[in-house]
Amino acid sequence: MNLPAGFHALLQASLPSAAQPAVIAVGAVYFAVVIGISVWAARKTRTAADFFVAGKGIGLVALTVASVSVSVSGFAFIGGPGLIYAVGLGAMFIVLPASVTNVMGAWVLAKRLRLLGEARALMTIPDAIGARYRSPAAQGLAGVAMLFGIVGYMATNALAMGVVINSIFNVGLGWGIWIGMGITLAYSASGGILAGIYNDVFQGTLMAIASVLVFLFVLDFGGGLGAISQTILAADPAFLGPWGKMTPLAALSFFFVFSMGSLGQPQAVHKYYMLRDPLQLKWYPLLKTLGLILVLLLYFGVGVGVKAFVEGGRMAPLVSPDQATPSLLLNVTPIVLAALVFSGIAAATMSAANSFINIGAAVVMHDLPIAFGRRLRNELAWGRAVTVLIAVAAAITAQMSGSMVAFLGIFGWGLFASTLVPALAVGLNWQGATRAGAIMSIATGLIVTLALEIAAYNKAFTFPAGVTASAVALVLSFLVFFVVSWLTRRTAAASIDPDVRLVMEL
Amino acid sequence: MKEDLTRRLALSALIVSITAIAVAYASAFCASGPPTWAAWLLALGIPLSLGAIMILGAARGGKGGGVGSLKLPFAFVIVVLAAGFCAALLLPATESATSGLWLGLPARAAIVIYGVGLLPAIVLPVAYALTFETQTLTAQDIERVRVFARAREIEQRELGERMPLDQSGRDDDTHAGDRQS
Repeated sequence: MNLPAGFHALLQASLPSAAQPAVIAVGAVYFAVVIGISVWAARKTRTAADFFVAGKGIGLVALTVASVSVSVSGFAFIGGPGLIYAVGLGAMFIVLPASVTNVMGAWVLAKRLRLLGEARALMTIPDAIGARYRSPAAQGLAGVAMLFGIVGYMATNALAMGVVINSIFNVGLGWGIWIGMGITLAYSASGGILAGIYNDVFQGTLMAIASVLVFLFVLDFGGGLGAISQTILAADPAFLGPWGKMTPLAALSFFFVFSMGSLGQPQAVHKYYMLRDPLQLKWYPLLKTLGLILVLLLYFGVGVGVKAFVEGGRMAPLVSPDQATPSLLLNVTPIVLAALVFSGIAAATMSAANSFINIGAAVVMHDLPIAFGRRLRNELAWGRAVTVLIAVAAAITAQMSGSMVAFLGIFGWGLFASTLVPALAVGLNWQGATRAGAIMSIATGLIVTLALEIAAYNKAFTFPAGVTASAVALVLSFLVFFVVSWLTRRTAAASIDPDVRLVMEL
Repeated sequence: MKEDLTRRLALSALIVSITAIAVAYASAFCASGPPTWAAWLLALGIPLSLGAIMILGAARGGKGGGVGSLKLPFAFVIVVLAAGFCAALLLPATESATSGLWLGLPARAAIVIYGVGLLPAIVLPVAYALTFETQTLTAQDIERVRVFARAREIEQRELGERMPLDQSGRDDDTHAGDRQS
């Protein structure tokens, strides 16, 4: 997909050194709070359900802030503003879907997943697919597909952590990766998702505060949005066109993949299992949408603001678009604000990494054994062990070449979307969907995404402007799901247990 | 397997819109590049697909099913998204240093950022909250699921099963109705 141009900004680049006393002090306080929360959570984690779904005991506000936190990676702080700086408002089509995705997720998935969790002891997203289609094979295949995406996301987040920590503490990229992953691993392995959730709450709050303050600073420094726009329009009017410098097809393609694809992102939809009281879902979309808007203010504000400041001669031209946020923070904003944002970026990467470690561990020790007809005896102990393995593997992978790691991260979102959206989001709402349709759809998403991304990476194939592997894989996966379900429609009734049918009808 | 009219219509709309999006992508592979109508297919297909899947998710089955008073917010969001995208495609590119600004942005950008990016964010979550008890979930719904869960637990205990679903590693082809508790 086209996103990586900005997405791996955080990786390949080289954030400038921010190792000043204020930045180091705020960074040290940030890590101390993370460690404190983790120690508390580890004492409360006693069972596999505690470890993977926080014992279904998370309150509304905590769950909402945590969900906002895992929905936003370092991309929103570095790569995204850089992408706006490079291509104009077209880059907003990546985040504009936030206006509908949270409530869409609530209508399509939240109630049904939460009630399925109530009806059965479900812990994972593949669990829900297995229960819906009475199919360990579909559950296992969904788990395998998720593992591919998780490997990519973990490696990119590990490298991003290394880049940020190196920038704050000046310890070198390799040490940055191991320190960041070590701390994330410590709280993931000891406190599981409980530590993750409460660290996410802290990290999400930090991200929102940093984002709002930077946005307000940019407006103040630029004399308001109108003055910022006028400066840009005088120099580069196409930048403020609705598609920016992208084609309409490319911008709309972003919107499609990032809206429909949101229904297949396990790090976000997995959270629906955890809400203590299902009736609290009432306010979840409203709170999450507000939270996301706050966190994404920086994305818009810095991207547009820096463009105006450079065009107006108030900032030096950037060496590369990825430097939009760091240059603004280190050269224009007060250093305390810069310190907050750098800690916020570290928070975003650690929060995402923790979530993927947890989900990956659940796939390995829960979903795959079920697919093979086995069940591990001590899921908590296995969960902790697999957590360590995944984190170490990700840290080692992150030391590979930047372009290889970026490639791994590229297809994460698209892979989750194309493999999970039809089978999970449509399947939980359409009783005519069949097991064969789900399995073929998951397989199509997995094979098409991997084949197209590998071909594009090796330059064996070039997509026409505006078309992405993720988008092609997503629509093909949908079409295969519909066609195969129709062809095997006589088996549809046999795919649904009575309790699952009840959940689907409510 | 018959589903209610609302769900069937939503599913049909989803299939049509996804097919339209697929055609738009396929057309981009033409040697001469994507035709101008490809963007229009996306501009109309995306709002329809999102609206359709939301309706599919929000519709309740059985008697009194459908989406009730949610018809309006769903129609609103489909129209707002489609109108926003189409306006951006239709309106001439006149951005310049002398352009008038709407809330700080040129007109076409303002339509997209505020119309597509903010209006649904205000309307949809509020509609969800206001209709939650009538349309989405009640304490009675949860209790019905819990009753089923308890019955299933007893049935499984009697069958000596230890896992939450058939975890033999093979897909279960027994007709679900045969196992109804």
